Amino acid sequence: MSSSVFSVLSKFVAEYRRSTPAKLKVVDAYLLYILLTGALQFFYCVLVGTFPFNSFLSGFISCVGAFVLGVCLRIQINPQNKSEFLSLSPERAFADFLFAHAILHLVVVNFIG
Amino acid sequence: MALRGLHCVVLLALALGAQALTPSHHLSPADLDRLKAFLNQPFTDLESAYYSIVGLSKLGIAVSDEHAACQFLKSQLDPSNIDSLFFASEASQALSGCQIPLSNETRDLLLAAVSEDSTMSQIHRSVSTLSSLGLPVASQEVVSALTTRITKEDNVLAIILALQTASRLSQQAELGGILEEIEDLAARLDDLGGIYLQFEEGLEATAHFVTAAYALSDHVDIEPPLKEDQVVQLVNSVFSKKSWDSLSEAFSVASAAAAFSGNRFHIPVVVTSQGPAAVSHRQPMLQLQVTDILSQPLPSISVQVESAHAVASKSVVLSQAPFTLRDGIFELNFMDSQPASGYYQFAVAVTGDSRLVANHVEMKVKVSTEVAINNMDLSVVDKDQSIGTKTTRVEYPSKAKTSFTADSHQNFAMSFQLVDVNTGVELTPHQTFVRLHNQKTGQEVVFVAEPDSKNVYKFELDTAERKSEFDSISGTYALYLIVGDATLENPILWNVADVVLKFLDEEIPSVIQPKNLYVPKPEIKHLFRDPEKKPPTVVSNTFTALVLSPLLLLFILWIKLGANISNFSFTPSCILFHLGHAAMLGLMYVYWTQLNMFQTLKYLAIIGSLTFLAGNRMLAQKAVKRLASK
Repeated sequence: MSSSVFSVLSKFVAEYRRSTPAKLKVVDAYLLYILLTGALQFFYCVLVGTFPFNSFLSGFISCVGAFVLGVCLRIQINPQNKSEFLSLSPERAFADFLFAHAILHLVVVNFIG
Repeated sequence: MALRGLHCVVLLALALGAQALTPSHHLSPADLDRLKAFLNQPFTDLESAYYSIVGLSKLGIAVSDEHAACQFLKSQLDPSNIDSLFFASEASQALSGCQIPLSNETRDLLLAAVSEDSTMSQIHRSVSTLSSLGLPVASQEVVSALTTRITKEDNVLAIILALQTASRLSQQAELGGILEEIEDLAARLDDLGGIYLQFEEGLEATAHFVTAAYALSDHVDIEPPLKEDQVVQLVNSVFSKKSWDSLSEAFSVASAAAAFSGNRFHIPVVVTSQGPAAVSHRQPMLQLQVTDILSQPLPSISVQVESAHAVASKSVVLSQAPFTLRDGIFELNFMDSQPASGYYQFAVAVTGDSRLVANHVEMKVKVSTEVAINNMDLSVVDKDQSIGTKTTRVEYPSKAKTSFTADSHQNFAMSFQLVDVNTGVELTPHQTFVRLHNQKTGQEVVFVAEPDSKNVYKFELDTAERKSEFDSISGTYALYLIVGDATLENPILWNVADVVLKFLDEEIPSVIQPKNLYVPKPEIKHLFRDPEKKPPTVVSNTFTALVLSPLLLLFILWIKLGANISNFSFTPSCILFHLGHAAMLGLMYVYWTQLNMFQTLKYLAIIGSLTFLAGNRMLAQKAVKRLASK
């Protein structure tokens, strides 16, 4: 059973390495970073309690928001999805990404206290 | 038969329901003196002279120096000015033997002023001047001019002046139209709480209205359309102010006062009691002063009590009893009716003149008496009633010779009766207290003695039950009886006896110092909120490093993936975009440390728009490059 899981995983990783364009791999690395940061923050909160709660929330929401925006960017610049985003160029996607992040940062910094 | 019964019931209801309003303000002799003193100011100009002279004459006294006043009027007179002529002529009429010089030009000037084109004030002043100088006035012309001006100047003050003017005209003239204005004006009065009736223009306007309305009504001999309650409310409004701001205000009040006390239709009556309305055996006479609003006695009136009933029992004590007049005061010996002590509601009626207004007055009269304590019996009763009681009788005001001892098996009992000294009737005053005072510790405990059904007061002290009130402190207590009431002339504080109380479980008597209540108490120190429990710094620092570590991982991955910035074109828009973006991130940090949202938004708008423009350009160039390379 475990061997089949392992073999599926290794196959998946190999396929990923082969067929994903470099640009998307860059974005994926960024997403992994965001994920780890958010997970570590949550782990800290579980360990020592929620004081100060607003700071924890703002940090965690920042990670979640950045992850979501990163996923959006990845979907939008994926050439396989081009049929769904005919009018949206990758540059436009990136510009949207930057704009949304500006607002996210504003809110996060306001709440961080 | 039933209809007759119904008729009686309706009349009775009306009679009971008609709670007539009585004046709550009038000019007492002190107020009158103050008004006279205020009016008697030295003259500054013709107008102030007019107010002083005419005002004082309305109150029935003359100016201090009539001759000097006349000289003043003559010297200040300006014969070409209607106002000046008005003040001088009216004031000279009030002085004896003062004549204003006349000339043909003056007369022509005055007659010319009577026209539809002059203001109401001018018409009023010229007509009044002509009338007081004894010159003929064309009444009908005046009436038509007044009527026209009333429609043009539709305000309260103008109509009041019209009324005044009409009262100076011949009685043959058609004054009916102007007379109707009284009713219209009365409808414009504001009712304040059912007590005051006044114009929103103020006290002067209300007072002048009163003067003018009664002047015109007297002149045409038709009763003004004012109800009794309205007259009383007008009295309240005019006389509620007891110190006046200006001569014109004082003059208006003096004129109104003269109008209220001297007109032919309504004379408001003021009934006040001489001193407090209370009678007793020493002071059996109820004394009333019945005057008009100038505190002057009313001629040929009779005062009688229509009914007097006790407030508590509603039984009628007196009916249709007349007051006797002695030295200007109306007296009635109320104690002749042998009233019990308490409060009585009197309905007093003043009759004798058909013009009297507010002549039914309700007043509350107190009858006080003296109390005596009878049959004061003190005893110590055993709780199980096995040992017979020993009763000691004590006579007021002496003290019992022996002291009484009561311990936890015994009750201390007291019984007495309170009677009216004069009538022997039993009394139940409001305050009957029994006070026990420990001389050593200063502690005192007060109980209430209650009467039973036969009006005998009983007090029982159960030593065991009441020990908490005494803090279980045994000792000698002085027993006092306190009797008091509003209708008692001799309140009583009587040290009846000494009582020795013995309690079980005696604590060491702490000397209770009542003064301890008022020394400064210990200071309360403010307790600041405890700061929240925080994890040790080591843990937080470790986690800070841990959270920053994925960034390292990111850079490693990116390098591994071959991400680079080799495509960085040094176009101005590109540089500007990156600078702007960096500035935005820097602004976020500054916002965290220093700024507030409004400032941040301001800066963000500036930097953001720059970055947007630059970024737009840069991305467009990138897109062109991408499409070209495809």
